[in-house]
Amino acid sequence: MSDGEDDRTRAFLYREARLMDEHRYDEWLSLWAPDCLYWIPSSQEQSESDRTASIVFDRRQRLEDRIARLKSGEVLALDPRPAMRRVLSNIEIAEASDSNVTTLSNFVLVYARYDEQIIWCGQSTHTLNRVGDAFQIAKKKVVLVNCEHAMPSLQFLI
Amino acid sequence: MEQHIAMMTDGTTRAEASVEVGPLIQPDRIHSRLYSDPAIFAREVEMLWERVWVYVGHESEIPNAGDYVRRQIATRPILVLRGRDGKVCVFHNRCRHRGNMLCHRDRGNAQVIRCPYHGWTFSSEGGLLEPTFDDAYEEGLESADFALAQVPRVDNYRGLIFASLSPTGISLDEHLGQAKMFLDLIFDRSPVGEVELSAGINKVRYRGNWKMLPENSLEGGYHGFFIHKFAFDLADSRSGRDRMDFHDDAVWYLPGGHMVEDFRPVGIKQQKTDANIAYMKQLEERYGAERAAHLAPGKAPIIFIFPNLMYVQTHFRHLQPLGVDETLVVYQPAMLKGVPEEINQTILRQHEGSFGPAGFLASDDLEILERTQNAIKTDGNPWLFLGRGIHREATFDDGTSVGHSMDENHIRGMWAHYTRIMSGDMAPANGGAA
Repeated sequence: MSDGEDDRTRAFLYREARLMDEHRYDEWLSLWAPDCLYWIPSSQEQSESDRTASIVFDRRQRLEDRIARLKSGEVLALDPRPAMRRVLSNIEIAEASDSNVTTLSNFVLVYARYDEQIIWCGQSTHTLNRVGDAFQIAKKKVVLVNCEHAMPSLQFLI
Repeated sequence: MEQHIAMMTDGTTRAEASVEVGPLIQPDRIHSRLYSDPAIFAREVEMLWERVWVYVGHESEIPNAGDYVRRQIATRPILVLRGRDGKVCVFHNRCRHRGNMLCHRDRGNAQVIRCPYHGWTFSSEGGLLEPTFDDAYEEGLESADFALAQVPRVDNYRGLIFASLSPTGISLDEHLGQAKMFLDLIFDRSPVGEVELSAGINKVRYRGNWKMLPENSLEGGYHGFFIHKFAFDLADSRSGRDRMDFHDDAVWYLPGGHMVEDFRPVGIKQQKTDANIAYMKQLEERYGAERAAHLAPGKAPIIFIFPNLMYVQTHFRHLQPLGVDETLVVYQPAMLKGVPEEINQTILRQHEGSFGPAGFLASDDLEILERTQNAIKTDGNPWLFLGRGIHREATFDDGTSVGHSMDENHIRGMWAHYTRIMSGDMAPANGGAA
């Protein structure tokens, strides 16, 4: 992989993070491949084929429904809307082929609502399809540090 | 009652206020102190949580000898453990030696329970096996004197394990009463009559009183129009059904404090997938066509078993109060044994889509409960109104009542039962017509 591509990959992940922070739902959805999986497991070791309830297991239709809901103005946890910023770090290219790139990255997300600040943290694994010089997210797995613990509502993009 | 209310509004401190809850529960309204007063919560622990049958786990969570789950009965840590003889025992989760927590993981297997602190060991039936370096005890220690403290009563209904901290009281069978018939509608959706809570756990915590959740979970047909509008509209548009068709359901209060939203009267169109057709055939062969129709996907009742167990659409849900204004909720999807795999996959995907922290339904409920808990800090008018359908409520001789969809007879019944429990009356019903 050339250095230029390395930069493009990071830039893609940073942009995705910014769109999530800023509740830019349609632009975020446009980053995804037509056939995709957005997956947040409920345990650290869970595998995709396990018969286990995840926190999120969105194929394309469910992902579109999720975005429509977040945009609908009817999600109580978004009224008022939280302010969010996340820091993306420890980016590694795990695999690269002619057709796709798999990245690992960590995030720390600070979320503020109702005079309270909450921290969310985890590791994301992105499988990005190459589409010309651009990327599309084919799969995104987010393993939250607290995925096995009681947590508050997760009604935003992570 | 007038005197009682004055007592709370004339500047008397809460600590001095009565914990007698009777005057706080009126036929068509309840006082918000029931959600917010730490003294009432302390009284609930004593009168309710330490006496009644409390759900503590399901047999399928601990299939093998030595398997355990760590749970709490209100604020007390307990251990639900399957012994080598296959029998399930519930122990207080503390070492008989110096009180250390014996099992600190959420779940696991312990053929021998070894206290991490001084290494004392106990059998999976609770007997003391070996106190370490026991030559220091001149006479030795009698194993029986140091057995783990057991929760005195444990019983189960179709795999649902209940425990009572009280050595005496009504049987589980009496406590569940008519609710068993509705629980059967959950279990019999499996052609072998069994569910497994084997498909993972979601845990959430909300800053609200524990009693708010069962009330909320059993009146979704009403608040759903407002706080679940998006999810309901989406479901209606996908299924092509009319939302109001869903309001042919009935709500039941059942003696023992239990509540049911019963969807048997509702017409639900089944999708004709191969898996659904094969599944319905299984049910018809096992139970006959009439009962199979009541077991079809989408027909499962929403059930609350007083005081801490619910079944909602896809999952068993239990709650555990952490204090007067904080509650832990555990969601476990119920997998049906012996059905085509696609049926369980559909339940799983539906569960993720609706419940848990990122679901399309449950987060709205928890947000509302937290807002309510905040709002009732002001007591300008402290009463919460529960009068829907009171004029048409049908109550039977045994204390059961039935109402139309969106009526609140079941919630009123639950509060009447709560009043009796808090006054020390442990009978499931009030012994006759209300």
